[in-house]
Amino acid sequence: MSHAFFRSIFRVLPLLLVLSPVNSSSCTMGNKTAEIRVKYENILSHDIDELVNMSAEYRDRCCKNKKHEHSKVFFCNDTQEIESLQSMACNMLKFFNKQKISKEFRWKAALVSCGTLQVLQCKCERHKKEKVCTQVNTHNNEDRETGEQSKKKCNHEFCELKENISSLRSCWNKFEKIISR
Amino acid sequence: MAVPAAFLAPVLLLCGLGPRLAAAHGPTGVECVLFNEEYMTCLWGSRETLTTNYSLYYWYENRSPVVECKRYLWDRGVSIGCHFNQSEIVQFQPFHVLLNASLNGQALEIRSKRMELQDLVKPGAPVNLTIRNMSSNQLQLTWSSPYPKAQCLEHAVKYKSNKDTSWIEHGVKGDIFSFPSVDYEKYYTFYVRSKINSYCGSTQLWSEWSVPVVWGRNTTSLAEEQLQWFWIHTVLVPIASCLLLLVLVVLLVRMERVWVILMPRIPNPSKNFDELFITHNGNFQEWAGVPKDMLESFKPNYSESICYVSELPSRESHDPQWDGSNRPPGGPGAPAGPREHSPYQNNYVGV
Repeated sequence: MSHAFFRSIFRVLPLLLVLSPVNSSSCTMGNKTAEIRVKYENILSHDIDELVNMSAEYRDRCCKNKKHEHSKVFFCNDTQEIESLQSMACNMLKFFNKQKISKEFRWKAALVSCGTLQVLQCKCERHKKEKVCTQVNTHNNEDRETGEQSKKKCNHEFCELKENISSLRSCWNKFEKIISR
Repeated sequence: MAVPAAFLAPVLLLCGLGPRLAAAHGPTGVECVLFNEEYMTCLWGSRETLTTNYSLYYWYENRSPVVECKRYLWDRGVSIGCHFNQSEIVQFQPFHVLLNASLNGQALEIRSKRMELQDLVKPGAPVNLTIRNMSSNQLQLTWSSPYPKAQCLEHAVKYKSNKDTSWIEHGVKGDIFSFPSVDYEKYYTFYVRSKINSYCGSTQLWSEWSVPVVWGRNTTSLAEEQLQWFWIHTVLVPIASCLLLLVLVVLLVRMERVWVILMPRIPNPSKNFDELFITHNGNFQEWAGVPKDMLESFKPNYSESICYVSELPSRESHDPQWDGSNRPPGGPGAPAGPREHSPYQNNYVGV
């Protein structure tokens, strides 16, 4: 009898998890587009530009012809720009601990991710990733070895991060265009 | 057997290189530009560079199926590009293009790199440039843009005065440009152009320069004014002066009264003396009307003999004595008076 009880419980719980809404946004700044615009234009856009420029300086020959099967592709969906930005920013945080990528580049990418989450007042599904933001914001001016990436070989993780950065910037451009008059 | 093989090798090599050689004379890439987000053109060459007609196929990554271009652009019978309507344009979706052609039975394919159409936007040139005079020698230049999202634009203003040799360019974020100090003696020309700013895209495509707006002393009117003054000073004034002179000359000749005023006659008093010389025969006293008794009073009524006095010569001198044959030296004023006896009887006074 007890076996039947537990089996029934264990079937319901996964069902509840599957049926729970996945697309619920945990961002709270959704309606305050003016405030988002000010923060983006005055602060975040400059960090994004710096990150893009940094990304362009590194060797990326291995990224051009390969299509990485395991790379997660993010789209900036129409009418869901904030959610798309949230997904991109949270995903970018996973590169913070990738040792094959230069520390300076990883930190800058994490800074932009955390900045995006902060402007949009979003949280990531995995709360561990937000510890990264605490670390990044606390040790923002820590000396890091510059030019390190130029010594590192082009690798899959670097290509994936570069792709993420490009998608994040494009999504911000799209969002800015929508909320601008 | 070696000989056919020797022939085959270069043939095979050429066959392998054929498509590449054909492609080398074909398009090197596709250039797409979104004009003011109203339409888009993708060009892959010109009549001079293309050897065959290409077909264009496009798709948006993970969005649409592959579609062929509906409106080709032609240059003297050769397709050189494709025109896209606004409804066929989707920004913020990776865009891919494939060119397809057949040359000598071989298929040619040229794939473009992935494009982000929001980074290929070329806004329309700014319009309605207006200059306003502000206080303290300041000018304010404003304009409007045909691009629908004005807040996604950044602008550049270039200007020059008629005394400058090169243009000065300034970046402007809004749609107002303040010119701090203006010289009222100069003539300024302003141009404006626009670009999508970094908040809304990542593009290097500037719009065309706007129609210029000018401010200051218009060189055209100044030139016309100077030309007018030139005509006045150099032509009209001399002509008018000559005409005036001519009129004066004619007046002088025709009107004696004017001539007399300008060239007074030298007085000739002879007329006043006609009566003297004609009627009175030069007799001034008669003409003057001097009374006769006064005239008589001037006549002498006595006679007076002239007494000649001379010095007797000394005996020692050999001067001949005067006798009747010698005439005494007499001056011209010596009056010829009658002979008179004198106490010196030896003296002889003759005429």
